[in-house]
Amino acid sequence: MTGERPLSASELAIAEAALSAIAEEMGEALGRTAYSPNIKERRDYSCAVFDASGRMVAQAAHIPVHLGAMPTAVRAVLALAPFRPGDVLALNDPFLGGTHLPDLTTVAPVFTSEHTGAKTETPIGFVATRAHHADIGGMAPGSMPVARELLQEGLVVPPLRLVAAGEPSEAALALIAHNSRAPGERRGDLRAQLAATALGARRMQQAARRFSEPGLRARTEALLAYGERTMRRVIAGIPDGRYEAQDHLEVGDDGLAIRLALTVDGERASFDFTGSDPETAESSLNAVAAVTRSACYYVMRCLTGPDAPANEGCYRPVEVVVGERSVVSAGRPRAVSAGNVETSQRIVDVALAALARALPDQIPAASQGTMNNVTIGGSAPGGEGFAYYETIAGGAGGGPRRAGRSGVHTHMTNTMNTPVEALPLAYPFEVERYELRRGSGGSGRHAGGDGLVREYRFRAEATVTLVSERRRWAPPGLGGGRPGRPGRNTLRRADGVEVDLGARAETQVGPGDLLRIETPGGGGWEGPEPSP
Amino acid sequence: MPDGGTTTRRVLGVDVGGTFTDFLLWDGDSIRVHKRPSTPDDPSRSVLEGLDELGLAASETPALVVHGTTVATNTVLERRGARTALVTTEGMRDLLVIGRQTRPDIYALEPESPEPIVAAELTFELRARLTPAGEVGVEAAPGEAAELVRRALEGGAESLAVSLLYSYANPALERLFSEPAAERGLYLSLSSQVSPEYREVERTATTALNSYVGPLMGRYLEGLARGLARRGSPRLHIVQSDGGAAGVQRASRLPVATLLSGPAAGVSGAVAAARLSGFDRLLTLDMGGTSTDVALCDGGVPTRPDLEIDGLTARTPTVDVHTVGAGGGSIARIDPGGALRVGPHSAGADPGPAAYGRGRDFTVTDAQVVLGRLGSGGGRGRGGGLLGGAMPLDERRARRAVSGLVHHFGGDPHRAAQAVVDVAVANMERALRVVSVQRGRDPREFTLVAFGGAGPLHACTLAEALEVPRVLIPPAPGVLAALGAGAADLTAERARSVLKPLAAHDHALGAALGAALAEVAREVREELAEPGAQVDLSRALDLRYRGQSYELTVELADDGALDEPALLGARSRFDALHERRFAHHDPGAPVEVVAVRARARRAGAPLLGGASARAGSRGPRQQGPPAVTPCWFDGRRLDTTVIERASLGPGESVEGPAILTQLDTTTLVTPGWSASCDPHGNLLLERTGGAR
Repeated sequence: MTGERPLSASELAIAEAALSAIAEEMGEALGRTAYSPNIKERRDYSCAVFDASGRMVAQAAHIPVHLGAMPTAVRAVLALAPFRPGDVLALNDPFLGGTHLPDLTTVAPVFTSEHTGAKTETPIGFVATRAHHADIGGMAPGSMPVARELLQEGLVVPPLRLVAAGEPSEAALALIAHNSRAPGERRGDLRAQLAATALGARRMQQAARRFSEPGLRARTEALLAYGERTMRRVIAGIPDGRYEAQDHLEVGDDGLAIRLALTVDGERASFDFTGSDPETAESSLNAVAAVTRSACYYVMRCLTGPDAPANEGCYRPVEVVVGERSVVSAGRPRAVSAGNVETSQRIVDVALAALARALPDQIPAASQGTMNNVTIGGSAPGGEGFAYYETIAGGAGGGPRRAGRSGVHTHMTNTMNTPVEALPLAYPFEVERYELRRGSGGSGRHAGGDGLVREYRFRAEATVTLVSERRRWAPPGLGGGRPGRPGRNTLRRADGVEVDLGARAETQVGPGDLLRIETPGGGGWEGPEPSP
Repeated sequence: MPDGGTTTRRVLGVDVGGTFTDFLLWDGDSIRVHKRPSTPDDPSRSVLEGLDELGLAASETPALVVHGTTVATNTVLERRGARTALVTTEGMRDLLVIGRQTRPDIYALEPESPEPIVAAELTFELRARLTPAGEVGVEAAPGEAAELVRRALEGGAESLAVSLLYSYANPALERLFSEPAAERGLYLSLSSQVSPEYREVERTATTALNSYVGPLMGRYLEGLARGLARRGSPRLHIVQSDGGAAGVQRASRLPVATLLSGPAAGVSGAVAAARLSGFDRLLTLDMGGTSTDVALCDGGVPTRPDLEIDGLTARTPTVDVHTVGAGGGSIARIDPGGALRVGPHSAGADPGPAAYGRGRDFTVTDAQVVLGRLGSGGGRGRGGGLLGGAMPLDERRARRAVSGLVHHFGGDPHRAAQAVVDVAVANMERALRVVSVQRGRDPREFTLVAFGGAGPLHACTLAEALEVPRVLIPPAPGVLAALGAGAADLTAERARSVLKPLAAHDHALGAALGAALAEVAREVREELAEPGAQVDLSRALDLRYRGQSYELTVELADDGALDEPALLGARSRFDALHERRFAHHDPGAPVEVVAVRARARRAGAPLLGGASARAGSRGPRQQGPPAVTPCWFDGRRLDTTVIERASLGPGESVEGPAILTQLDTTTLVTPGWSASCDPHGNLLLERTGGAR
């Protein structure tokens, strides 16, 4: 195989399978060996494979919000070149390749052999893992506080060498671990990420041996071109035009606007968010540009069908214009933790609303539009503290084909729930109620799905942090369908006093207190059919 | 009973698949094979009619029939189960709808909801509650359980499942339903009996599935057993998902344990056949029409603790097979981006591959036909095609079907066909890597056992790709599941959640674990007990590092007391296993005991011995020199030897390229490989080191 002859259709399929198998195997290893329930049980992580210039050539289908953000991380670590075999770089800085602080990324350059002399070589590619750590310090357990600036959210890790030529940096590991409320867990999770990264590097070396180095290069080029062709065909199927939409985040009285003009021109699409409201010092709902790109890529990926490869080539014909320092392109020192989990969902809502004007027969009404982030933490005197994080599903929007599914994670996340029976063993609370929130889906020809109710009863003191959206403004219906019901966060104190906590809150709870989260229903699709 | 386990003389293994029902009769020193169409409307009919077709004299009637069945699986997939009611703890009634709150395809804009197996109006909540420690926190009101049973019946329920929070720690609340359900003749499953392990979604799904398939399975087995008894066969065993067999009583009570009966029987058969030739480290490849099951066996049938069916996870020991949508009938197409895809769509049994005469799509089987390895080329001069010539293949039709692809391959049909085979093999290779390399196993240390209709045709190429040194083709690869069923041991397994820190010096813990183990061990022993029969017990602990949510099963060295040395031993074996499985371990980290587990095993029929040597040899030995046909290998046209497999006697061998034909499959020996027949009738393919 040389670069001269184009890859045949079978070589293309086989190369794609080989490279995505690497990403999947890394993910399998990471999920099985990690320590925290957030990574192991909820599978809140992604793994990907990159070529020598840092272009993503394969990603395992894990978490959509990592989609457009992983390449940014790899490009950020390129600044640390030259590399040696056995190097592993790490980062979480949202303004230098990260998304929000709990997402720690490891990147390893891959060389043809594990051992080398002093001579510097050029890597044949990179492998990377990104995992959501349950606590990375900051002002509240879980590191997703109601914050006004980045440094309140936790430890910022700029791109650095976590492992140098096979030698882990004990200083860096200790610094990260000691800045977490659960240092042992951090070490365990990081070790799992390093093991998965090393495994991915070995597998990529094997791929280079199997295909030869030039053969691997030819294949990655061909795969990127393949992704691009696939996406161009999809865009060509969307009627040309300019489609506008906007929606709001629940900040202040008027909200923070996300405004989009989507332009489709032949085989190219441009998402232009110019005109969105500026970044805010009032909350952590600022999204970095990488998150905004992820949301747009996710929406486009939904249109391609299952054949499309998960590589960066797909996004060559997709332009994302974010403007300067807006709520969809925040800069230092803004707080950004909720931008990743909440604003990303709203960007999807806006993008789908614009697309619905172009493709009314393909796009559903808005889904719950939030991840309902619940963080519960505390510190045991003298011992290791705990930080528990979970997200709660809600209603999917009704669509042209069917009613919305109830109680399911939608769009930018797909993390599992933690078993109710797994909680009391590890944490000082129990879940007493976990059921559908009946009637919360918007009515319509195809109704929106119902949200969920989850109730936590506390046995001991703890700090609860809630980050959610769609508490004031409901997920809209589409084409005459009714909106879903907004969510609600309530605390009933042991003495019977009930408090509405609003969309975002940090509060101390004690024994006997009951926290009740009601998640939004999905919007309905089209009005009920007129009677004949 | 006069006919316990190992003394059984005549055993009939039956595997009921979607298309064919396979029979394998063993009478102590010879075997007979039979294959007939299945009868999906009433699967027992094909079993009974097939038995009649074997035309056995009264003295030849099998004393034991062992049956691999898809009844439970199809009942779930087709949603034909009983109208099932479910009782949960208050606040938990939607557990089955919510599941793990994820969607299977993250890019599906409109995620589908799986068809529920329990109707919303038949879901009831019990106000009584257990605490996490298993104490009764809220007592049940008098008559509450009886009232719910009454309401379930009023709603038309044919069966009932009860799954209460924390009931793995105390079955008392669930048992309140036993009497009222029995009084009303309602089929009942309690989660504390069906699956006494923590994780409420999986436990509830397992229990509901059991009640969903229970009534139908019970009626089916009862009818089949009656029909067999009328034909003089007094005993019926069912293959369970872990490859072990169960009696009719256990299978009717615990049908959820038979959901993967068919694939389990296949792997079981592969293990039994390979063991005869002295191989017990195997990669199995079961390639059928629509999909391929692969497994890694290291000394026995590999199992995992749960299986997934249609979005529901059932917690029941299951053969650890990995399935990919690549089979002989998988359809090839070029996707919009220009890559060649094979599967997951399949031409199935109807219309089937183009070469079968009705289909138009180009499939993997058609590709093999175009390459000359099947059909008119492969069997020229002696009634080529499948099923010993009974099913001729239409090569011209296959060539017409490939015409849609050829312009992507320079107009060359052989290149196009080779590309389709390459992609199908890559799909299977990836599956084999998942079960081997991904789990820290080196395929080069294993023997590839290929079976199913299409397995032996692709085995050499796969072995080459994985650097597997040896391929084994059992005597009757197309009916191997029937062999596995016939050879299955009786098994019963049971786990109970414990959720306690492992402290080796803690005598109270050792005593508590010992007591819990004794209880589950007693239960599984009772399941298999029979006068004169030997039941082997093994005990294990499910362990994990504190904070992890996956546990590893660690066998206990002996059946002695769980004293400090025993627990320390288990702990160090856990560390070692963790290192092997996940590439790291931490001897200093605290460990938790998640569950105790006991397995009972009673030996099934001793298998075959030399008897199988002539199995699969249905025709007279071929006369004269072997035929030669042109086949294409990676673009080269090579003269290829064609012989009937039966003509290869023990000790004889043939050099590749060669095609070995037999009734139920075709074996391809690629250039650089040779095939020899061993004394047990197994075909061994090995690399001769020659140039390809």
